Amino acid sequence: MSFLRRHLALVLGLVFGACLLVAPAVAERGTLNDLWNMAFFVVLASAWNLLGGFAGQVSLGYSAFVGIGAYTTVLLAKTGWSPWLTLPVGAALAVAFSIVVGLPTFRLRGPYFTIATIGVGEAVRVIASGLEFTGGSSGVRMPPGTFEFGGNYYAMAGLALLTLALVAWLRQHAFGLSLEAIRQDIDAAEALGVHSTRAKLEAHAISAGLVAIAGGLFATNFQYISPGSVFDFRLSLTIVLMPIVGGMGTVVGPVLGAMLFSYLQIKLLASPALRDSYLFIYGGLLIAVMLFEPRGIVGLGERLLGFWARWRTPALAEAGRAG
Amino acid sequence: MQKLVVVALNSLLAAGLYATMSYGLAVIYGVMRIINLAHAGLMMLAAYATFALNDRFGLDPFLSLLVVAPAFFLLGMALYATLIRWLPRSSAGPSMQSLLLLFGVWLVLQNLAYAIWGGDTQSILTPYTMESVEVLGGRFGIPQILVFGVSIVSLVGLNLVLRRTFLGKAIRAVTQNRDAAMLAGVNAGRIAAVAFGLGTAFAAMAGSMLSTLYAFTPDFGRSFLLKAFCIIVLGGMESFTGVAVGALVLAFIENFASAYTSIPVSYEDAISFTLLVVVLVAAPGGLPGLWRMLDRRAVAR
Amino acid sequence: MPADPGPILAVSGVSKRFGGLLALDSVSFAVQQGEIFSVIGPNGAGKTTLFSCLVGSVRPTSGSIRFRGEELSGLRNDQIVARGLVRTHQIVRPFRDMSVAENVGVGVLFGRLRLRGMKARERVDEVLGRTELGPRAAVKAGVLSIGELKRLEIARALGTGPEVLCLDEVMGGLNPSEIQQAMVLVRALRDGGLTILMIEHHVHAVAGLSDRLVVLNFGKKIAEGRPAEVLKDPAVVAAYLGDETEARA
Repeated sequence: MSFLRRHLALVLGLVFGACLLVAPAVAERGTLNDLWNMAFFVVLASAWNLLGGFAGQVSLGYSAFVGIGAYTTVLLAKTGWSPWLTLPVGAALAVAFSIVVGLPTFRLRGPYFTIATIGVGEAVRVIASGLEFTGGSSGVRMPPGTFEFGGNYYAMAGLALLTLALVAWLRQHAFGLSLEAIRQDIDAAEALGVHSTRAKLEAHAISAGLVAIAGGLFATNFQYISPGSVFDFRLSLTIVLMPIVGGMGTVVGPVLGAMLFSYLQIKLLASPALRDSYLFIYGGLLIAVMLFEPRGIVGLGERLLGFWARWRTPALAEAGRAG
Repeated sequence: MQKLVVVALNSLLAAGLYATMSYGLAVIYGVMRIINLAHAGLMMLAAYATFALNDRFGLDPFLSLLVVAPAFFLLGMALYATLIRWLPRSSAGPSMQSLLLLFGVWLVLQNLAYAIWGGDTQSILTPYTMESVEVLGGRFGIPQILVFGVSIVSLVGLNLVLRRTFLGKAIRAVTQNRDAAMLAGVNAGRIAAVAFGLGTAFAAMAGSMLSTLYAFTPDFGRSFLLKAFCIIVLGGMESFTGVAVGALVLAFIENFASAYTSIPVSYEDAISFTLLVVVLVAAPGGLPGLWRMLDRRAVAR
Repeated sequence: MPADPGPILAVSGVSKRFGGLLALDSVSFAVQQGEIFSVIGPNGAGKTTLFSCLVGSVRPTSGSIRFRGEELSGLRNDQIVARGLVRTHQIVRPFRDMSVAENVGVGVLFGRLRLRGMKARERVDEVLGRTELGPRAAVKAGVLSIGELKRLEIARALGTGPEVLCLDEVMGGLNPSEIQQAMVLVRALRDGGLTILMIEHHVHAVAGLSDRLVVLNFGKKIAEGRPAEVLKDPAVVAAYLGDETEARA
């Protein structure tokens, strides 16, 4: 029992990973599409959570990074690049953009930062819709011959697992503790030696890179992108809602949120009536979570089970338990 | 020179509306330290309500304010009683919880509008919508002038309430120091409800008036919300006079930009957003903060 | 006597203005290494502002703060901590959702020592031992008593491995036996090699612990020296009692 408890998330992660990787052998195409979507959401939600959940800086502008990754892939592929090679370039551009945006906006605290990020996301969308070489508001299409679902699926699954592993690893180590300290009391953190701005920039950059790679894979999978599909505010909203509903600041939370929202998306696309009500659902979820359980599904689970699901560096915890 | 005067007059007219819009946000922030993202949704809903009254009953949009404003005041108090009241008060400034909660409310309001009226662009046409007046070589629309007039009346009214009535003084007291106000016998909970109602009413008035000037969809409100934020940050977040000044400054910058530069109107959002970020980062105290800084330098030892 | 290496901390002409309020007015003093140096004065005298200037959370309007000869004003809080000067807060600011060990861990990992791995854990245990928080290591900081929270403030700061420790009213809100414990701890810390700056209201503690002290009133320094002399200084007595008599006059 003790081993399972301590490493519960690890075990769940391995099971999750196994399912994803084994699926192509047993499932049909429709299911694989759904799994691809879920993996995509897992990357977005977990990466966002690094800055938003751990460090407590809620950004409503993450679709910018999806779009940067997607557009980099398409535009470079059109000049002859292999789609795979475009991914690191997209990531690098997203990292650079995250720093450019972060430097001024990280001086803002809490809600002011969030409001600023709304503006950033909108600004990027407006600019992308206006520029000539990005195809304007009608978008751009990948060159023919670049579509290959199998490889893309494994890439997305791998990215999801990589993201989860990275986030879990960071959380266990000094960097994760610094983000947590920043979230709880940024001034006290600085008074103990934490360079808060640098930590925020690093978290922002790491998550931006991961999200951009996911964006690039998205572009290759769907072959056609537009500002409306990748720079959309609705996407930024979904990215934020997944960890919030699932449980901010935990490793498992964003995954739960991703599962919930990819399921919702399937249902919404299937039923026109529900599609028109997606704002009710999103808004209602947000209200319910904020009012009743701000720590999301994980918080609810903790409350119900009375069990401290988040865990810290095992040795420190051991020292505590022994001491 | 004459062009400058026209730009100034246009700015003045716009500033009235901007100020009304921003006061709604400022009152709620001042009393409860809550950033009301639902403000945009409420403005939008009021615009649609005005449209509905005009469409069904032929009620003139400006007259319908007499119905819309009190109705939304009650709506605001209801929102407070059902949702806001339960939020924990954060001592360290505005909380993310309230921000996100009200964001959720905004989304719900949007969906409500989509459900009732659909996503098509709507607008209100009255006999005087197209009428205008020529002053000093510039054309000023009748609706614009009426909006300005109503704004001034409502703002003067608000000011009178804040300065002359007990309620108003209580609101100002809670804004400055909630604990001290409570010690002085003010029922902070009730004041908060009233403040939320007031804020909603002003949002509604702004939305209602906006419906006479612009076409709107359920998505409408976001860019005005951004402008309102910009204004109250410029105005120093906690000063009511500051909001008026901030409104003037933003209106002037926007009109100036469209009159003298080739920045397209769709980039208007970018202007208010850039200004917002610049002020937040460089001068967090807004214009009053800048003023104090300059003032201090002048009397430096 | 060996040659004087100079004060470890030299504050010269430090002033701080907040809008219209002059919180600190050209304050100057020097702290020698290994001293217990107290800053006292009536409420609102500017003591906490002074500490905020020392550690970099607030930038002095003018003046200089030299630590081992290096100018500190203008540096960020975390940079100053990296150089060996750290503070506790008058109103405790624990990371409530973290355990006691993790709270101390933040300072150990990011302070001057920047330890990692096994060494970090050892230091955490060592610091918890010195502040008698060992048994509470795994407990969430949010449930500690005020006495324990005060000790946690000290433990966190200690974890960074400072040379100069600035204690802001560590004895506020403690009962007499806790105050005794705190005094023992402060002495032990100094004996272990630290230089201590203290803001303190408890005159008994100040007189008993300090080697030297400085008195602030309305942001100005009004006295400096050994406790025996300073506490008898009529200006100092007047400052503490003066508000009432002046108000009535």
